[in-house]
Formats: sequence, C-alpha cells, structure tokens
Amino acid sequence: MPQIEVENLSKVFRVPEREAGFVASLRSVFRRRYKEVRAVDGIAFKIEEGEIVGFLGPNGAGKTTTLKMLSGLLHPTSGTVSVMGHVPWRRESDYLRRISMLMGQRSQLHWDLPAMDSFIVHGAVFGVPKAQFDETLNELIELLDIREVLKKQVRSLSLGERMKCEICVSLLHRPSVLFLDEPTIGVDIAMQARIREFIRDYNRKYGATIILTSHYMADVSALCRRIIVIDKGRILFDGLLPDLSQKLAPYKVIKIDLDRDLNGYDLASLGDVLSLEPRKAAIRVPKENAAAVTSRLLTDLPVLDLTIEDPPIEDVIQRVFGGAATQ
Amino acid sequence: MNLPMRALAAHFRAHLAVMMQYRGEVLLWSVWGVISPAVLYAMWSAAASGSSSGVIAGYDQASFAAYFLMMMIVGHVTAAWDVYEMGYLVRSGSMSAQLLKPVLPMWQSIGANMAYKVVTLMFVVPMWAIFAWIVKPKFQPEWWEVAAGLAAMVLGSALAYLLSYVMAMAAFWAPKLDALGEAFFALSMFAGGRFAPIEALPWYVVPVAKALPFRWMYEFPTELLVGGRLSGAETVWGLIAQLGWLGVLVVAFRVLWRAGLKRYTAVSG
Repeated sequence: MPQIEVENLSKVFRVPEREAGFVASLRSVFRRRYKEVRAVDGIAFKIEEGEIVGFLGPNGAGKTTTLKMLSGLLHPTSGTVSVMGHVPWRRESDYLRRISMLMGQRSQLHWDLPAMDSFIVHGAVFGVPKAQFDETLNELIELLDIREVLKKQVRSLSLGERMKCEICVSLLHRPSVLFLDEPTIGVDIAMQARIREFIRDYNRKYGATIILTSHYMADVSALCRRIIVIDKGRILFDGLLPDLSQKLAPYKVIKIDLDRDLNGYDLASLGDVLSLEPRKAAIRVPKENAAAVTSRLLTDLPVLDLTIEDPPIEDVIQRVFGGAATQ
Repeated sequence: MNLPMRALAAHFRAHLAVMMQYRGEVLLWSVWGVISPAVLYAMWSAAASGSSSGVIAGYDQASFAAYFLMMMIVGHVTAAWDVYEMGYLVRSGSMSAQLLKPVLPMWQSIGANMAYKVVTLMFVVPMWAIFAWIVKPKFQPEWWEVAAGLAAMVLGSALAYLLSYVMAMAAFWAPKLDALGEAFFALSMFAGGRFAPIEALPWYVVPVAKALPFRWMYEFPTELLVGGRLSGAETVWGLIAQLGWLGVLVVAFRVLWRAGLKRYTAVSG
C-alpha cells in the first residue's frame, strides 16, 4: 500500500492585485481587486514507503504548495491526500510527530541560542524519549559533522553550518516521511554533496520516504530514481529519471573527435551544433535521426571517436520549462 | 509529564536563556513597567493632596501609593504581548514552522511569557523596594486578602494572557495588528484601573469598566493585595467572575483557533 496517495489535488489562491502608483493604491482602499491563481491543478501520484522522489519545476510551479498540502500547512481547494493513513490538514498530533518538513529558507532554530538548546526543545516538543534522543542526536552530530558548532550561537553560524543544524533538528524525532524544500539552497558545492550523502544515508537507515524539491539538478539526479516534473500546477512527467529525456526531450547528442580539421564541413545541416572546434564537435539531433546522422558522419569524416548520449538533464528541464513558459 | 507540559517547560528554559542574552533590554522593559505606575502615582497623589479633603474616591496619598505600587506588580505579572507578536508570526511565515509541531504554538508563547516575568522580576523587585521606601505606602491586607489576592493575580494573569491571545488571532484575517495592540493596551489602562482606580473615573465610565473583563485582570487583585477595600462577599464574587471570564475566553480561543487555522491554511500556510 502506498505511503502517500494524492488524488486530483488542487489549490486555488485568491490574491489581491492592483496597478502600481498612488492613484491605484487609493482606489484599492475602496475597491479591492482579486485574482485567482491556480497554484496546483488536479495532480495525482502515489509514493511507496522508502522512496525518494524529486519534485522538479520552475519557480511558482506549485512544488512548495504541494509540499505544504502534504505536510498539513495548507488546506486544498479540492482533492484528497493520505499520508501514512492520515489526512494531513487535520493536523493530528500523531501525524505531526511522524513527519518533518524542512524549508531551506525558514529556520526552526532559536536564533539567539546555541543550536544545542534548540535540539533539546525539539526533543521535548516531539516527546522523544531521553535514551532515543541521546542516541539519535549523537548519530546526527557524527553524520553531519557538527560537534564543533553545537555551542555556537545560531546567528553566528555560516549558512552551511546552519543548514546542517536545521537538518539535524528536523530529524531528531526520526520522522518516517520527510518533505525537503530546497534543503541545499545557498550552500557551497562541497556542502551540497555532504547534505545529499546524508539524506541518502538517512533514507537507507530508517527507510524514510522523502520528497525533495530543489533547484539544483545535482541534488535530484544524485538522490532520486523517480522524479515528478510539475509546471503551472500540473504534472508534466512522473517516472524514472533516465526516462525523463526520452519522454520530454526526444533527441540525442552526438559528439565526435576527428583525425583532421573539419574544413568547413556543414554540420549545421545535420542538427543543432552545440560546440565546434577544429577537430571536435557536438550536435543535437532528433532521436529518430540519430542512426542516420551517425552513419553520415562516419562516412563523410575521419572520425577517431564518436559517442551518442542522452542530453544533460539540466538541458531537458530547461527546454521543457522554456517551452512551457512560451505556450 | 504530558507533551504540552514538557514543551512548556522546555520553551520556558530556552526563553530564560534568550532573556539572559538580552539583559540590557530586559532591564529597560522593567524600568518601563515601573515608570508608568510611578508617574500615575505622582499625578494622583498630587491631585489628592490638592483636594480639600485630601482624598479622591476613597484614596489618600498613602493609599494611592499602595495602589500603584501593587499595580506595578500586578501589571508585571499580567503582561501579555501576543497581540503584537502574532501579526509578525503570520506575516513572516514563522507560524508555519510552529504549526508543524505536535503541540499548540500557544505553549511556546506561554513559555516565553513566563520566562520574561521571572527574569524581569530580578530588576522589578529592587526598583519596587526603593520606590516603596520613598512613597511610604499604606498596605493593610488580612491574611485571607493576601491569599485571595495571590489567587486573583494568577487568574488575572491567565485572563490577560488569554484575552491577548484571542485578540491576536485576528492576525489570521488581518496580519497587521499593531493598532489593535494599542487599543487593547489603552482599554486595559483605562477600564482595568491601571490609569486610576475605577471609582475615580467619571460616573458614566464606571459601569462600562466594570462590565468589561479588564477590571478582573488588574484592579481586583490589586485591591485585594492592598487590603481593606473589598468585603468577603465581593471577593468571592470577584473570583467567580474571573473564573467565568476565563471560561468564556477558553471557549473563544477554541472556536477562533479552529477558524483562524482554517483561514491560515486556506490562504498562506
């Protein structure tokens, strides 16, 4: 039985809007205008226990709104959600003790106190038994390598140190379901890699179900076998990561290394030229033309090496959202 | 210990630590809490000495001193500021983080409130003692008035906190509440007997002030602890009135919290 089941989920916000300027602001005092924004539009998916699923989409796609509905922070306009058998927006204490939502841009720590104080408060608020609290905390401190920063006031921590402490506090009650909204936002590449590694370890060790949103493709490609691509509140793709390019960007990238210079050979007539050097080139061709173009290249040019690749996942996403944005 | 009590104790300890970080600010708030009744004492004391009988509404200079000195303590113990805080929590989205916890956000706020009162007492008590030494108040409570007064002060504190929290929940509909906070403060000053004993107010204000809950938060415990102003029957009636208002506010809190949460989770989250 799936741990998370979402059916026909929609969320419509009614947001005030007005023109810029003094006259418009005066007019809005007497007559407010509202616009309906369909942030999530009839989405459905199921997630099994222990899965890590990546939520991808541009800003305003509906990712965070969906996570907020799954965590119980938002009441949907229509549709149903079941997470571990609970309806999230009923906000039962039992449910809240089994989930965690980490919002990269919002802090759960006491800004004025050392992180350790926030951990202790969190343990008490979630009713974590002392022995389990000590065990989990020690483990998280080791895994996240934060022993050195525990006594520092949170406001004086670097962003990376603070993010690790935020992750630590989110997991102290050992949640079974984790909603991670941009967990690596703003931290450097090395730290991103460490946080990713930690999330993977936590998933393996506790069999936790994780939904992750991120702007960094590296987060998603390193952690998630399955991804859900969402744009304008609708699911564009739900499947395995390698299938994403097949479905959303049906083209291949052919890279060639040559024995001699191209000497004006017309690569552009075969496909989109992605890079061009005297003895090296990469072109993008529709998937169905890949075999024919390869054959032609091998016939026409002194090819030393040739590779046919799926396009980089970043390109796929960029093309999909670029296209979607212009529709 | 159940979960809310564990959470309360933990928040209380954490907020004590926060207050210790800001000793300067805590001192200034304590001074603010002492200055207001001190100025009012000076004003009413001058008025009493200027009157032909030396008495206004049954208070002479020494009993005004006792009244405003006791009001300093009662005002301190009943301080509540959620009506200012809640708007910020809603606007900044900090409320969301609190709603992801398995206990009501109110427990965190109560922990902070209690911590503030404990820490500020360190400053308030010495200032209070110096002030008392200067103005020579006339306290005359019987033992039962002290006992009832302490109980009334605790109930008054719960009333003031709950009323502030109930009003603060307007933030779910209109998240900028500073004006409401000011209105709450002004009403509590005037109708609670903090500006002057209610009997000293114009005759048409007195019944209105007595019908509102503010008197039961401030003036009633103050009068008991000053002593000699309320009969046994008035004391019992006052304690019942406090419990009655408390019941009303608990119901109001439950209804408004549910409605407010529904509103919050519908529009922002």
